[in-house]
Order: sequence, then structure tokens, then C-alpha cells
Amino acid sequence: MSEALLISSLVRSLQTGSLYALMALGITLTFSVIKLPNFAHAEYITVGAYAALILTLNAEVSLVVVLVVAFVVAALVALLSHVVVFRPLEEHQTSEYTMLLASFAVGLILRYVLFLLADTLEIFDKRIQIGQEIVFRSDALILTNIFAWVVPTSVFMVILLVLLLNYTPLGREMRALAVNMNLAQIIGIRVERVKVVTWLAVGGLAGIAGAFWGIQTSVNPMMGWFAILSVFAAAILGGLTSFPGTILGAFVVAFSENTLMQVLHHYLGLDFSFKPAIPFVIIVIVLLVRPQGFTDFFQRLRTNRYER
Amino acid sequence: MTFDVVTTGIALLTYFGIFSLMAISLNLEYGLAGVPNFGKALFVSIGAYTAGVTYTRLLPIIAGHTPLNPCGETLGQALQLRSEIMQGQPVAGFVNFGITLVIAALIGGVVGYGLSYITLRLKEEWFLALVLLVGGEILRITVRGYSPIICASNGVAAVAQPFSFFDDVRTASVAYMLLVLVLALMAYIYAERLTRSPFGRLLKAIRESDRVAQSLGKDAARVRAQVMMIGSAMAAVAGVLFAVNIGFVSTNDYVVALTLDVWVMIVLGGMANHRGALLGVFIITVLDRATAVVAVQLSMSDISIEFNYVRFILFGVILLLMLRFRPQGILPEKPQTTQVADGFARTS
Amino acid sequence: MLEVRNLQKQFGGLTAVKDVSLTVPQGKIIGLIGPNGSGKSTLINVVSGIYPATSGAVWFKGDDITHLSPHQSFELGLGRGFQDASLFFQMTVLDNTLIPVKKQRGERPWLAPWWRSWLGEEKQNANRADEVLQQVLLRDHINKPAADLSGGQMKLLELARTFMGEPDMLLLDEPTAGVAPTLAYNIFEQIRLMRDQFGMTFLIVEHRLGILFDFVDWLYVMHMGEILAEGTPDEIMANERVRDVYFGD
Repeated sequence: MSEALLISSLVRSLQTGSLYALMALGITLTFSVIKLPNFAHAEYITVGAYAALILTLNAEVSLVVVLVVAFVVAALVALLSHVVVFRPLEEHQTSEYTMLLASFAVGLILRYVLFLLADTLEIFDKRIQIGQEIVFRSDALILTNIFAWVVPTSVFMVILLVLLLNYTPLGREMRALAVNMNLAQIIGIRVERVKVVTWLAVGGLAGIAGAFWGIQTSVNPMMGWFAILSVFAAAILGGLTSFPGTILGAFVVAFSENTLMQVLHHYLGLDFSFKPAIPFVIIVIVLLVRPQGFTDFFQRLRTNRYER
Repeated sequence: MTFDVVTTGIALLTYFGIFSLMAISLNLEYGLAGVPNFGKALFVSIGAYTAGVTYTRLLPIIAGHTPLNPCGETLGQALQLRSEIMQGQPVAGFVNFGITLVIAALIGGVVGYGLSYITLRLKEEWFLALVLLVGGEILRITVRGYSPIICASNGVAAVAQPFSFFDDVRTASVAYMLLVLVLALMAYIYAERLTRSPFGRLLKAIRESDRVAQSLGKDAARVRAQVMMIGSAMAAVAGVLFAVNIGFVSTNDYVVALTLDVWVMIVLGGMANHRGALLGVFIITVLDRATAVVAVQLSMSDISIEFNYVRFILFGVILLLMLRFRPQGILPEKPQTTQVADGFARTS
Repeated sequence: MLEVRNLQKQFGGLTAVKDVSLTVPQGKIIGLIGPNGSGKSTLINVVSGIYPATSGAVWFKGDDITHLSPHQSFELGLGRGFQDASLFFQMTVLDNTLIPVKKQRGERPWLAPWWRSWLGEEKQNANRADEVLQQVLLRDHINKPAADLSGGQMKLLELARTFMGEPDMLLLDEPTAGVAPTLAYNIFEQIRLMRDQFGMTFLIVEHRLGILFDFVDWLYVMHMGEILAEGTPDEIMANERVRDVYFGD
């Protein structure tokens, strides 16, 4: 196996991993704060990508503007799904499976609204119009400006989220809500406000990830859905509750899809058509062997907590 | 405009029968026992892939021929051979069909029991839902990439229904429709009798609290695995019927959307009420056909909107409205028990 | 009948039960008391197999049941009741009582659809349930959903329901929680009746000491996860250390 192939697959792993982290953090956040494994998350990604695409098709703007627009549009769509669907359902105290089904339904509706939109505007499989330039070149490695953007931006957003969660009153309220909803209400946390901020953050992160994804490859209404199971794999690796676990999970999934796939192909002759199966295999193995994901590992790094 | 009412009606009733099997199986699993089977597509696809294998390997042997490789250079000949057998040797066709049903039910049942027993002993139902959802996709991708099963992404054609020896296509499809409806009726009666038995009562108890049921001597994980075995076998049978009905086995038919369709049906019709499930299947299949007809009509006219998309949006909206305003479904669960309760109703 | 030897249970760093040993002889009603958080409920949960023990052993009728799950313990004749009324609320009173009956033919998925194979047995069980329900004055409500009963009736139904599983011994966690005092007395009378008529054995966690002391043969007092004292109700009443933890401050 050539060195160049290995290095380029590692670069891809890093780039995809950063995007998976952005998306999977949203899943973990919704699951902890809203208690919902949100499959409509896939469509927030696609919405962000389409917002970016439509913008760049109509105006010449810088990448920062594109990201901001993707963030805002996807955040608003996420908030809309909360206000119109999830909040009314929560108020009726429906079971968790009802919420899961509802998230599928929301995803379905958004996906096919995007299909209609793409059909009308004739924008299937178009690339977001941001020029790709090579910023670094050597014998083994070529880096584009997209790579130079994706990784730092993701790291920046993750740091921002961690700061928000750990060092602001709002973040503390979010974490309190994640631990115990009833208690949080009793001690006077403005639950609704916290939820609104959560939805905005979740949708926005997905939107940015979608925009980057669309710059890297191309935009179509199914893109989010195709990514979502890999993203869920990452979140499940994090036990659906641990943020560092989720980030680690995102890189594990990205690494196995790219580098591990490359290695398996080279040494065992595994066909590339199996690539999408890798995250699923990881999910099943984790569920059966270590249902708690990496949670324990990170908890042990902190203090011994009282558990029941 | 060409719109054949009879043909549409036959197709509709056939679909109704096939999806009834899937909906009843999910209603036993989720409605009655509370096991969230988000892997209906997995078990349906097991049936379909079984048909893909038996029609290409077993059928020629039963008919007294040497099986040809269905995928490579002999693809055309193998296809030809299958069609000839199905049209010329009805007995071989039926024997093969019967064996396919049995094998599919067995594999489906074993996989359903195994996956759920292992998962439920380790974790709550939550994880089973994800394992099954994901398991369906793993199987789909594996079958799509691994050619010996159904020729990878090409699929297998000429998986004809057993009545295709009739010269008249309509007679053949009516006969097949009747067969499917009889199987669906049997499944309905079976499910109904199961529900009104001590086993059904046990399932309801576990649905309400597996902790309490366990403290009363019930092995909840095993009982749930048992109902998953019954439901999965039923779904695999539906998978065979589905594949044979369209005459083609392809991995593209067994995606998560199929699972969702079945969920929409039972949520709409009525959780834990088998008649409700049938009603849900009927409404959705009619709606599906109706929107398909509208889509065809529209595509022939000048309106440029792609109606197939509207159809999915419509399904999503129906599901949301039901979950929000009538979560128990159109026909809610009956507080029925075994018939001994009737005796006490009169005396007290 | 039941023997707990050096049982220990830790949750993470917290030891809820440390080194508890106790014996429950056949046909006795044994009380287990102690202040809140003293580890009584945890002990019951470990004995019945809901939580795995950290160390130590539980023996029941000569078998080591330390590592058995709750349904296996029940099969051996060790039943239990929960602190909160834990009925199947959507099901009728009759259905609730029929659930714990052991080895029902109709509960086997292969026989279940063939009604003739189990209907006779089901009728016998229903008649027995009818008698048991009459005993606890619930016969008139036999076809009502359990959710429609009053709090006291729920507790009685729970007792009647466990009884249908023909256990040799019952672990009860606050059988009178949230019940009016007269009804609480009635519940304990039912318990004594079961003991006298069927030789059943009881280990009861209870906060209503006044009523409990009238019915128990022997008491264990738990404090901070350990057995602080044991004896007859009179001895316990006289015990200085028990008074300190209970009525101190």
C-alpha cells in the first residue's frame, strides 16, 4: 500500500471526522437535553447545504458568509420543527417511540420539500460555488483550502460549544436539564428558553456541516440521510450522552470508513461497496459489546460519581 | 386517459394482503408487546432474498435441470430457464414457492429471536430499535455488494409468482391475489387468537412493565424474543410474497422507508388492534395507489410538479397529525381478555 | 427458609449495604425497619435479584440464589411486592391476578392460538382468582381496569396477585405505603391469614411501626447499611441504640 494513498486517506479521515463531529454533537445534544434521538437531524444538514448552494448560485460571497447563512437557515428550520412538532408532542407526554417516529416524519417531510425545491430550481447534485485551491503540495500530500477551513472551523465550533456548556449560565442550565428535567424545572430553570437555544445550536451546527459537505462533494436532497447513519454511529459510540465520547466516536467512524476501508481493501480485497456498512457494523458491535459507548471511560477520568 | 379499474383493483388488493402481514406482525410486536421493531425492512428483505436464492438455485433442481449461474455470462440463459419452468412446470413452481415460504419463515424467525434475545438481555428496548434499524441496512448493503446472493446490485429478475403458468395474465394475478388474501386472513385470525390468549395477556403485562412481570416469574426477554420470532417469520413470508408479486428481487426495495410505511399503517389504524391495523393498511395502500395514479396523470399533463414528492410529504403529515391528535389510532385497543372473563361479567 | 450471608452492595463508590447477615425461618413474619436511606430497599432488591450483589450470598430453601434473576427466584417460590403499587394498570383486576400463575399452557406461544388446549386450565385459574379476590373484597371489581381502584384496593390486589403465584415466601417493601390506617391494618391481617393458612413466610419493610409491631415475630433494624439490632418487638422498643437512630435528634 503506497504511502500517498495512506496519507490522503488519513487526511480524508480527519476532514470527514471533523464534519461528523459537528453533526454528531447535535445528535448527542438533542438526545441529552430534549430526550429525542432525532432522525430529522439528517435534513438540517441538507437544509444547510441547500441554503449555501442557493446563495452561492445567486451571489458571489465569501465562505464566511456562506457558513453564516447555512447556520442561520438550518437553525431556524430546527427551531421550526421544535415549535410545530416536537413541543406539542412533548406537552402531550407521548412515549419516546412516538417522538422517534415523529422525527422520522419530520425528516421525511423536509426531505421531500427539498426534493420539490430542487426539482423546481433544477439544482440536483450541484456543488456549492466556492473555489477550491491547493494550499499545500508535496509528493505524498495535497491539501486544499477546504481542508484548511473544515478542520479549524469544526474545532472552533466544538470549543465554542464546550465553552457555552461549561462556562455560561445558559450552558449550566442545559446540563441541568440533561441530568434531570423535573428537578431543573423545580429549581427554576427556564426550560423552554434552554430548549430553544439547544435547537438553534443543534440546527446551526448541522447547517455548517452540510455546507462544508456540499463544498466537498455535491448537494442533493438525500445527502443528509446518507450521512446520518454514520453520524448516529458516532453518537452511539459516545453513548449518546458524552460530548468528548461523541467527538472521539466521530473520528473513529471517519477513520474506519476511510483509512481502515483502504487498508482492508488492500490486504483483504474487501470491495469498496461495503464502505457504507462499516459504521453499521461498528454500531452493532458497540451495542452488543459496550452499550455505554465511551461514556465510562471519560467519566472515570473525572470523579467517581454516584450512580444507580 | 387509460386507467384500468380492474387491474388497479387487483394490484391494490394484492398489496393490501402483503402489507397486512407486515402490519399485523408489527402490531403483535409493538402494539401488543411493546417491542419497537424498527427493522421491519430487515425481516421483509430476508424473505425476498430467500426467494432470490431459491428461484435461482432450488427451482431448476426441482424441475430436473442443472442450476446455471444467475449472474455472470449465463444470466440470460438462467433467466430463460426460470421463465420456462414457471410457465411449463406448475408443480415445480408451487413446490419451490412452498419451500421458499418455509425457509424464509425459519430464517426470519431465528434471526428475529436471536437478535432480540441477545439485545434485550443486555439493554433496554431502545437499543433493539437501533440494532434492528441498522441491521436492515447492513444486510442490504452486504447483499448489494456481495454478488452470490442476488447478483449484487443487479438483482434477480423473473422471480415469477406461482400462478404464472396461466396463459391469461389476469387469471394469474387474480389467483395470486386470492392466495395472498387467504394468507393475510390466516395471519389475522392467528394474531387475533394469540391476542386473546394467556400469551397475549402476558405480552400486554410486559408492555406495561417488564420489571413487574419479571418479579412475577416471567422471563421478559425470552417472551419478547418469542413474539419477535413470530412477527419476524410473518414479515419474512410477506417478503417472499412481495418479491414474487413484483417478480424481481432488488435491494432498493427494502430500505428504511418500508419500515416507516408499516409504522404509519399501525399508528393510523390502531395500536394493538388487529382490525385497526388492517384498516390502516387499507387506507395507506389506497392512498398510495391513488396518489400514484394522480402522479401519472399529472406527468402526462402540463403541470411540472413531481407528485411523487408530494406523496411522501402527505404521508409524513398524516403520521404527525395522528401522533399528535389520535395516538391510539382510528380503532383503539380493546380491553379484551381471554373469554373466561365473560363468565364473571355476568355473575358480578 | 431464607438466609442472607455477609451481603454487600456498592453503587460506584457508595456502599448501600455492608456486610448484612440475617435469617428468616419458615412460617414467620419478620420485620425490617430503619431510618430512610438505611439500605432496606436495596437489601430487598439485591435479595430478589434486581441488583446483583457485590459480595456475599443469599440462600433460599437450600439453594444459592445470589445470582438468579427475579423471575428465576419467583419460580423457586420467592415472590416480592414493590413500594409503589406496581399493577398492570391498563389490565383488568382478573387479568392482573392471572398473570403470576405458574406454568400456564396458554402462555406458550405454540399452544396459545389453540384455545381448546388451555381453556380448561384457564377456567380453573380464574375460579381460584375469584376466590382469592373475594378474600380481599375485590370480587365486585373483577372486570374493572386496575387503574380504577382506590389506593388501598391496589395494595390488596397486589397482595392477592402475588399470592396467585403460590410463593413460599414474600418480600414486601412497604405493603401499606399511602394507605388509610384502617385499611393498613386490614392488609396486615391478610398477611397473617396467609401465614396461618398456608404457612407462608414474610420479610416486610415497613414504616408504620405501630401496626408492624402487632404482627411480626422478629425484627431486624438497619442503620447505615448494617444490621444495628435484632429481637422481638418488645426488645427492640427497649433498645437504647435503636432509639438513638430512630428517635434521636
